[in-house]
Amino acid sequence: MHRRLVIGYSVTAAALAACPFLLGPYWLDVLNNVGLYVLLALSLNLILGDAGLFNMGHAAFYAVGAYTAAILNTRLQIPILWLLPASGLVAAVFAIAVARPVVHLRGDYLLIVTIGLGEIVRIALVNDVFGLTGGANGIFGISRPSVLGHRIRRPDEFFWLIWACVAATAFLFHRLEQSRFGRALTYLREDTVAAEGSGIPTARYRLLAFGLGAAWAGMTGTLYAAKMTIISPESFGFWESVVLFLMVILGGAGSIPGVAVGAALVVGLPELFRGFANARMLVFGLVMMVMMVVRPQGLLPFRTPRYKASDLKAAFGSEGAGEPAAPGAPGSGIAP
Amino acid sequence: MKKSIAALALGLVSLAARADNVKIGLLAPITGSWASEGQEMKKNVELLVDEVNAKGGVAGKQVQLVIEDDGGDPRTASLAAQRLATQGVVAVVGTYGSAVTEATQNIFDEAGIVQVANGSTAVRLTEKGLKNFLRTCPRDDEQGRVGAALLEKMGAKKIALLHDSSAYSKGLADEINALLKAKKMNVVFFDALTPKEQDYSAILTRLKAAGPDVVFFTGYYPEAGLLLKQKKQMGWKVPFIGGDAINNPDLVKIAGKEAAEGFLFLSPPVPKDLDTPEAKAYVASYQKKYGEAPQSIYGVLAGDGFRVVAASIQATGSTTSGEKIRAGLGALKDFPGFTGKIAFNAKGDRIGELYRVYKVDANGNFVLQK
Amino acid sequence: MDQLLEQLTNGLAVGSIYALIALGYTMVYGVLKLINFAHGDLFTYGAYLGLTLLTSLLAHDRMGLGLRLLLLAVMVMGLVAVIGVVVERAAYRPLRDSPRLSAVVSALGASIFLQNALMLLYGARYQVYPDVLPQNAVRLGDLSIPVVRIAVVAVSVVMMTVLYLFVQKTRIGTAIRAAAIDQGAARLMGIDVNKVVVLVFVIGPALGGAAGLLVGLYYGQIGFTMGWTYGMKAFTAAILGGIGNIPGAMVGGLLLGVIEALGAAYLSVAWKDALAFAVLILILIVRPSGLLGERVAEKV
Repeated sequence: MHRRLVIGYSVTAAALAACPFLLGPYWLDVLNNVGLYVLLALSLNLILGDAGLFNMGHAAFYAVGAYTAAILNTRLQIPILWLLPASGLVAAVFAIAVARPVVHLRGDYLLIVTIGLGEIVRIALVNDVFGLTGGANGIFGISRPSVLGHRIRRPDEFFWLIWACVAATAFLFHRLEQSRFGRALTYLREDTVAAEGSGIPTARYRLLAFGLGAAWAGMTGTLYAAKMTIISPESFGFWESVVLFLMVILGGAGSIPGVAVGAALVVGLPELFRGFANARMLVFGLVMMVMMVVRPQGLLPFRTPRYKASDLKAAFGSEGAGEPAAPGAPGSGIAP
Repeated sequence: MKKSIAALALGLVSLAARADNVKIGLLAPITGSWASEGQEMKKNVELLVDEVNAKGGVAGKQVQLVIEDDGGDPRTASLAAQRLATQGVVAVVGTYGSAVTEATQNIFDEAGIVQVANGSTAVRLTEKGLKNFLRTCPRDDEQGRVGAALLEKMGAKKIALLHDSSAYSKGLADEINALLKAKKMNVVFFDALTPKEQDYSAILTRLKAAGPDVVFFTGYYPEAGLLLKQKKQMGWKVPFIGGDAINNPDLVKIAGKEAAEGFLFLSPPVPKDLDTPEAKAYVASYQKKYGEAPQSIYGVLAGDGFRVVAASIQATGSTTSGEKIRAGLGALKDFPGFTGKIAFNAKGDRIGELYRVYKVDANGNFVLQK
Repeated sequence: MDQLLEQLTNGLAVGSIYALIALGYTMVYGVLKLINFAHGDLFTYGAYLGLTLLTSLLAHDRMGLGLRLLLLAVMVMGLVAVIGVVVERAAYRPLRDSPRLSAVVSALGASIFLQNALMLLYGARYQVYPDVLPQNAVRLGDLSIPVVRIAVVAVSVVMMTVLYLFVQKTRIGTAIRAAAIDQGAARLMGIDVNKVVVLVFVIGPALGGAAGLLVGLYYGQIGFTMGWTYGMKAFTAAILGGIGNIPGAMVGGLLLGVIEALGAAYLSVAWKDALAFAVLILILIVRPSGLLGERVAEKV
């Protein structure tokens, strides 16, 4: 991985590891919220940033995962952490099923469809669909997670759980970025027709991106349910989807550290500026408009992967490959 | 030299002052959709804290009120509750909105802090076995009983129930539905409208087609006002009844006096109808300090919440033990609250009947029915 | 049967409001290929500004009611049009050559800004219009239809017809249509596309503002979050009719209103909104061009 990135991550990890010993339960809880949102933003990043699909209904997948875990936990008494894969799977299947008919739509139309989907899911939750969701009351009495027999209850305990998940997710998503699938997603985001022409099954990969992103959001939903012990439809409305969308765009679509920073700022700053509750939203809107003019690529934008010339030479050998482009030539992306 | 003595003296005085305070928290929706309730809660409790401190405080210590804003939202509320819990409060009054309160119950319970809610009527809040949770407000099942009794008294043969899918509204509608079924009364319609909309003509037409004698709407006053107004436009004369979320003067403003006349609703008594001498004196002192009478009964219930906590501290002499304060609250018998006599049962619910029936007269006034 | 008829009139009234708002969406989309998320909020501004102006107009006893309402409508439409032009200048023009996503985010930002500015100015509580319209009703057999409901539909239809004639028969209207078909070619024909854009942002928001005023007068109660619900429904109506297509927006609006009313009558009232969104998604899957309009899907 890029050296600066590694340094950045190490510093952040060290700072975070010190937090439970320095901060009180209130600020730890804020950091827990930040952690959950980082997970959600990373999951949306797969869909919006990597695959370039305008999804403003991501809260629906979050909700599906959270409710799946909540229902199975309260009705069948399955320990909540065991439900992580189940909630991820249900959310993924749901996402693929609903995305299948619409994945070919043009950008802004897909946006509207996802908004509609998000609303339909929310209304279904409020109306107690299938008698499972508890209506506007939601579901309560979700059990606390327990790891190796130790029950996780307090903010500092949740801190380790959540941020461990964040670390694992960031690592996995970085690997995904470098993988064939990840590179294909970038390709089809930049130029769908060329990608299809190069043999990438764009429709299938888009659906996969939806599925994976939804799965991660679903699993985060399980963590959220375990932390709050009650979930209700209010937490999964249109506004949630908008906030997630913004975290990805403002942080830098497609860039994992960018999106994480975006999440941290969008959640953390309002806590620091709690006094200005009403003007806060006004400023938010203004920031959005200004950012798009001034820095549309986001705070920490996605950088095309760079390879060392020596690595490339080693990979391809120097016979028959032709001369690599001169270092520093525009668009070559190769660092000497 | 003088400066350091002054600093030392100041330090000692503040140390002494701190040791002489008992901290009580107020969790309220100062901002957000229920800001009007939250602001009144704050005004009521602040007035009472001042009065108590002027008389020497409780158990020999001055009361320090710590206020946190829950924004009318469960997530903000849980953060606000965390903040209160780390500031050394021994008891908390609040809050308004069952879902919001529910998000804070576990936090206070685990911290050993007594919580007295003033505006959270969902039944399940006291059915969880949380021993530190009590409420000065009634429960939805009481309102359900009064509602069903009213319907019976009116001799209604075909009843329509309309709610807005919110936790409070659906809960109340479910309660009434169950009671009506048990009494073998005929419920011809049970459905929800979408709140925050304008046009309810479609729902009203559908209601009309079901042919009820009376319609019981368990939602909030903005929608109720629109329903009354549009029902009049349609020329439909069937009487409507509402639950306690209807209780707001804006109801008449929205519906218009003609449409609102004759409308019945259930509610704990509004502040101007509180009839004990202490209540009347309190309303007068509130009027004197803030220039207007208290508008919302939930603000006064918050005031009563503070008073029972103060009474318990005074009686038990404990300013730091949540357990003792809880025991003190349980021991209260016929405490003279502004809203009536207060005593708590083992679950933390308030004993006694609070709900009354109100009618809107031709001038748009809310008149208490006996 | 009675219920059916009554629900139809309900649906038409609601639908004509949707149609007025939908026109704004469709015109902007036609020329700029942009979904103006802030449009719903302009509608809300119409309602609120109408309230402020009405309360001060009512103080002038000498004018007749009709004259006062006309003056009110003109003022509200004018003011909202001005706000619309400002929004275009501030949020959209700088991004004319940027990728669509930037414009979408900026539109959202503008919407959030406008909505919260309104909340800070007027407060978070609902506002109530003074009762100025006549309350009598027309009897049709067993049915009692309020006169104002008929008036709302009539006023909307008149405005939409005027717009349609404007766009079809006048030179400026033709310029708008040309710019909607191909901006580059329109420029080559000597059409000042920038002026066309400004004009579109005058007409669309003006109609939206008028719709807001109508809603305030008809229902009596307004809230600062109205723009979101009405905006979404109006957008659905525009898509239903075929986005970019003016008659389509009108048809779509009325149709959506009726579908909603019938859905509430015969399915469930609680799922009414979900039904509207389901219609939206279904149209985009099955017939993305809408009833009267253009293709929006790209083959993948």
